[in-house]
Amino acid sequence: MKRTRHEWTTLETVSMKFLALLLMACVAFGLQAELRGDEVLFEAKVRPLLVKHCYTCHSGKRTEGGLSLDTRTGWQVGGDSGPAIVPGKPDDSLLVVAVSGSNPDLKMPPEATGDRLQQQEIETLKQWIANGAFDPRDVAAKREGMSLEEVPDWWAFRPLLPQIPQIEQAGSSEQIDALIDQSLAMQHLTPTSPTDKRTLIRRVTYDLIGLPPTPEEVQAFLNDNSAEAFSKVVDRLLNSPQYGVKWGRHWLDVVRYADTAGENTDRPLPHAWRYRNWVFDAFNRDLPYDQFVQQQIAGDILQENANESAQNAGVIATGYLAIARRFGHDIDKDVHLMQEDVIDNLGKTFLGLTISCARCHDHKYDPISAEDYYALYGIFQSTRFPFPGCEAKGQPRDLVPLIARQAERAIAEAEQQRDTLAKKVQSLISESSIRLSQSKVGEGGSVPLSAEKLDALQRLQVQQGEVLLLKVLPNASHGADTTLIEWEISDADGDRFWSLSSLIPTLLTGNPNVSKHGTWCFVYFTDGQPRFLTGKYPSVEQRSELQSWSTGETPSVLVNNSVHEIPVWTKLPPASFFVHPGPQDPVAIAWVAPVDAVVNIAGRVADAHPSGGDGVSFEFTHITDAEVGKSLLTLGEISPLVDSRSASPVAYAVVEGTPQNVPLQQRGDPEKPGDVVPRRWLSMFGGEMISTDSRSGRTNLAEWITQNPLFARVMVNRIWQGHFGQGLSTTPNDFGSRGNKPTQLELLDWLTAQFQANDYSIKALHRLILHSNAYQRSGHQESTLIEQDSENRYLSRFERRRLTAEEIRDSLLFVAGELDLSVAEGHPFPPEASWKFTQHDPFTAVYESNQRSAYLMVQRQRRHPYLALFDGADPNSSTATRHVTTVPTQALYFYNDPFFHQQAAKFASRLKDLPEDQVRISKIFQALFQRSPTLVEREIADQFISAYPGNFDEKWSALTRVLMASNEFHYLD
Amino acid sequence: MLNSTLPRRQFLQSAVAGSALFSGIFQQLLASESASLPSGEPHFTATAKRIIFLFMTGGVSHVDTFDPKPALTRDHGKEIKADHPEIKDRPGYERIYLKRPQWEFAKHGESGTEVSTLFPHVSTCVDDIAMIRSMHTSHSNHYNATLGMHTGSFSFARPSLGAWTSYGLGTLNNNLPSFVVIAPKQTYAGTQVYSNNFLPGAYQGTLVVPGSEPIANITPRVSSDRQQLELSALNAFNQSHLKASSDLELTARIRSFETAFGMQMAVPEAFDFKQETAVTLDSYGLQPGQTTGFGWQCLAARRLVERGVRFVELIDTGSSGNWDAHGDMLSHVSLAKNVDQPIAGLLKDLKQRGLLDDTLVVWTTEFGRTPFNNTADAKGREHHPWAFTSWMAGAGVRPGIVHGATDEHGLRAVENPVHVHDFHATILHLMGFDHEKLTYRHAGRDYRLTDVSGHVVQDILI
Repeated sequence: MKRTRHEWTTLETVSMKFLALLLMACVAFGLQAELRGDEVLFEAKVRPLLVKHCYTCHSGKRTEGGLSLDTRTGWQVGGDSGPAIVPGKPDDSLLVVAVSGSNPDLKMPPEATGDRLQQQEIETLKQWIANGAFDPRDVAAKREGMSLEEVPDWWAFRPLLPQIPQIEQAGSSEQIDALIDQSLAMQHLTPTSPTDKRTLIRRVTYDLIGLPPTPEEVQAFLNDNSAEAFSKVVDRLLNSPQYGVKWGRHWLDVVRYADTAGENTDRPLPHAWRYRNWVFDAFNRDLPYDQFVQQQIAGDILQENANESAQNAGVIATGYLAIARRFGHDIDKDVHLMQEDVIDNLGKTFLGLTISCARCHDHKYDPISAEDYYALYGIFQSTRFPFPGCEAKGQPRDLVPLIARQAERAIAEAEQQRDTLAKKVQSLISESSIRLSQSKVGEGGSVPLSAEKLDALQRLQVQQGEVLLLKVLPNASHGADTTLIEWEISDADGDRFWSLSSLIPTLLTGNPNVSKHGTWCFVYFTDGQPRFLTGKYPSVEQRSELQSWSTGETPSVLVNNSVHEIPVWTKLPPASFFVHPGPQDPVAIAWVAPVDAVVNIAGRVADAHPSGGDGVSFEFTHITDAEVGKSLLTLGEISPLVDSRSASPVAYAVVEGTPQNVPLQQRGDPEKPGDVVPRRWLSMFGGEMISTDSRSGRTNLAEWITQNPLFARVMVNRIWQGHFGQGLSTTPNDFGSRGNKPTQLELLDWLTAQFQANDYSIKALHRLILHSNAYQRSGHQESTLIEQDSENRYLSRFERRRLTAEEIRDSLLFVAGELDLSVAEGHPFPPEASWKFTQHDPFTAVYESNQRSAYLMVQRQRRHPYLALFDGADPNSSTATRHVTTVPTQALYFYNDPFFHQQAAKFASRLKDLPEDQVRISKIFQALFQRSPTLVEREIADQFISAYPGNFDEKWSALTRVLMASNEFHYLD
Repeated sequence: MLNSTLPRRQFLQSAVAGSALFSGIFQQLLASESASLPSGEPHFTATAKRIIFLFMTGGVSHVDTFDPKPALTRDHGKEIKADHPEIKDRPGYERIYLKRPQWEFAKHGESGTEVSTLFPHVSTCVDDIAMIRSMHTSHSNHYNATLGMHTGSFSFARPSLGAWTSYGLGTLNNNLPSFVVIAPKQTYAGTQVYSNNFLPGAYQGTLVVPGSEPIANITPRVSSDRQQLELSALNAFNQSHLKASSDLELTARIRSFETAFGMQMAVPEAFDFKQETAVTLDSYGLQPGQTTGFGWQCLAARRLVERGVRFVELIDTGSSGNWDAHGDMLSHVSLAKNVDQPIAGLLKDLKQRGLLDDTLVVWTTEFGRTPFNNTADAKGREHHPWAFTSWMAGAGVRPGIVHGATDEHGLRAVENPVHVHDFHATILHLMGFDHEKLTYRHAGRDYRLTDVSGHVVQDILI
């Protein structure tokens, strides 16, 4: 299936030469004289014919039906119906079929638009095709792009440049400077001097942990005159858990992380945070970058045989794939769009390649064919993605349980046992039951247990282990009702007495509830089988007087354990016992006879929630097989373990699906399948097939990517960008032919070689870069030099940068003493069972938090208002570089935003304890800028405080706001 | 066309976005760069300087409003066949029947353009309107069609029409944003309908929600004299920070605070209708003191374009309670009443002030509604991407014409069909842009609003 690009290119090259010759020939000798027969035929007859009849709809950008007829490639590839011409076989060529009008569904040109071809013209076409369809037109096909042959020569795709031998001390940061200084000298640029220590520690602290240094940290650094002073700071920062939050956030930008799915209702992804935290953690423990990449693509498979925690981590890491954007009303119908998002991000993130351009047609600029795209598509189609739910298909499924394997085994066993027991009880009920009574309970009605025949409940003979079962069922047109139950059993010949009401204070001690008040079970029936209610709810509707056993919703049993009436959805009378059937599922109370006895039974069933429905029904049965009690009690004992599975943590992650190859989708349309494409690697990198058809091929993919130096180059460039504001290549997501070649290619390759040599340690790479003179330069430069290299491509100075949205917000909280540095987990989304999101009423929320801004809940369909204002990442597509824009609406934030005002006020409130204004002013400058105010600044602040009306808090909050809004706070020098 | 100079460009744009005083510097700096940069200079003479874009959420039925179909009345109840995306594999929709329009149509004005009784006020403006009865779109879902109408992309998030326009043209008033969206609620595509996406953030729409604080953080939290003191101190500290080094980005940020200070006055002033006469208010159907409703949005739009805002989008309703009349077409009555008089008031007001000459008014929805349903007496209509009506007025648009037509039942756009991409190409043309040349390099590709298609609808241009 590999595209025969080689042949094309060879042909193209030949033809280009030919065209040039042709031109010369035309000038020198006249057209006819020098041309071969088929060339003459084409130039004299075929080309004019195609231009006249076909080009209107099939040339340039006009490609009706996907067909271009202005290039050879155009008809070779063909349109939606396949290749238009089969060289040598005119009768098998669709073009001939179309123009001759023999097929009524395929008549060309269309009657409305053009004249039909003359018979003579059709014959010409046939002759041309029969002769082999010579066609020199390859200019458009060649396009501006790169051919497969050119791949090994392209700066990003070739092997790493050999180490440069003349510079010694390879492996140290001096090598970076040696390379940079060389190019500076060539440009006649002079680098700036090293920056001062205060600026440097502020710079490196933000760059590594995204927070300002404390005044104490600055002082310690200033006081440390040792040669290792800077190294100590770097090590301290790299060891801080806040490092992972800062650099993990970079990664989340690139992988377009979001906490919602992005389909039409933008459903929450309550488990996606595990991936987010895995990323932060991976940076913190300096997981080697090749493993970091492999785990995200195939962690579930790579860790299959590892210990449990590594296995879970591997699963969570594939959250990278899982968080792909979902599309449409019914996600399943737009799976091809999700796959595009997956492939698009995979290419950009790991390889700096825009692979998804090849979804509809071969890549215009890079040698990536549509087959390449669908070869990768097959790998992901063989992978099971989690389903986040959508309006058309309901709630989430296919989440991956994170569970200890041993526990899982125990649960599986318990589940089997539960199913056996449930079936046994079901058959005992159906085979050995005597109905004592049954009745409908009308809306708001009350019916005694003895409804049917009074004497059935008097002097009833029961044997130890038999069961009395009171089942309450929903009626036809109404889901269910809260139903009051009173039920007393007394020993007709003694003074023993069992009453449901005596369970009210101790309902939650167990189910089965075993005490001196008897043995009672609370169950419901689903498909005729009994299930225990295992969910224990110590309060209902935030009322601790109400307790319940339930499945989470209905069915349930419920008590009002107080001496007062409790108004909730209805008024629940004091000290009362209720059941609530589900819309389909009856709920039942079972009493297990503790002894052989003759009993009298009294009680009633009442609709406690008259609300316009049609009440409930009940059935009261005596199960006369003494086995049933024991089975029921065992069932009750094992049920909680089985049900605990649904409460176990899950990951939003992928697992292996059904291995399959997919057909190419012509013009990206899933309705137009073409040939099936085997799963394999990109042909530009060799096109290797997956190793076994029985797996998805993700492990192969992870390997192919991480064996290619490209993946390391791309990451090195990102890290460099993180420290210098721009990458060595300024197109970090595009290393293809449209990307920008690095001005310092040797440097990129040298750093990449170091990265490889250090086992892809990202922290080592930081160290290497941070210790260079280039990183530690001053930002101040003479304006003539700035003009000479306005983009600072040659790194003669440090480029000032604005703090990111997250850094600004975190700094405000940090300075105010309000930043919570703990690790955040999930968001306070509404519980999944309550989701009823529709396109008309989609999920939308903004959650406040004092934790680091990298933890803010980010939605795909509704931008977070703060992050959108300050150029936060786009959660819909990979953000490799954040734009910085300065707009007045940002300034409005610093004038009027309540959050901003709060942080300033918090900070200012602590100034009160200080002895005098000058100390206060110093304190603000130290906290915000880690330096003392200058005399001029002291004066401005002094004047402000005396001129500003209002009390202490108002004055000092205002001054704090002004300084928190100032340029110095927002820019790193 | 922006590839190599991109960072510089963004930087310059950001400088100018915050500052009136810097436009001179901006022009100077630009002079040394490529001439094709979008710098507020259109590709050719524009007839429209600004746009008011009226978006009706949910899908307005064309056959009940602006596209008269007598044959549909005649053939009511007749069964038809259609390979329609909304009925494909849908239980209960195996058979479909034509459903007649529920409102009468009549000819209006000198042009004689027919409009139904749902829009009695807009009917009086038909001589200024170019009605496009042959619109069609690429998707039958609300989300996709809404996204498509705003961004030219039917699946993926892309910059919106308003963002492209302000990217291309810049702003005319530095105290106000260049792109404003007035919406009481969000459409089906959320904030994406006014997102900048990969364009710089300066080009995103500023959301105005009718009510007490129309723009986030616009209401001063301290008195003006205090804020003045804060601004002076801020400037003083910033100057001290700037010292000798002249950095345009820092200076731009300083200016942005002055602009924002001005915005706190300019925005309330723009939304303060006290100076409007009773006659004007009345023409929009507004009561004195009213601060919500579509009439308020329309008058606010006029006041914003008067003050130099480039692109004002008005969204009538949100993702529920809108024109999505599956259940009963009668819901069109109150929705039409909500917008009819305000729209007519806006057109007349613009015309009377001479603003209609260079202000383009666009009225549209995401798709039409089916001229059929699964029973002849069904009360509602389904989503219909094959045909709908949009219209334009003012600024270089031929007045009083009808362009294109649907078939006799309003099922398909058959004469001069206008796709959403063509619609966008035409709007950009009126704003002075060749839609194929207004591009932005992102991830290795030059993106444009019209993707890879779009033809200017020449017939509706003067």
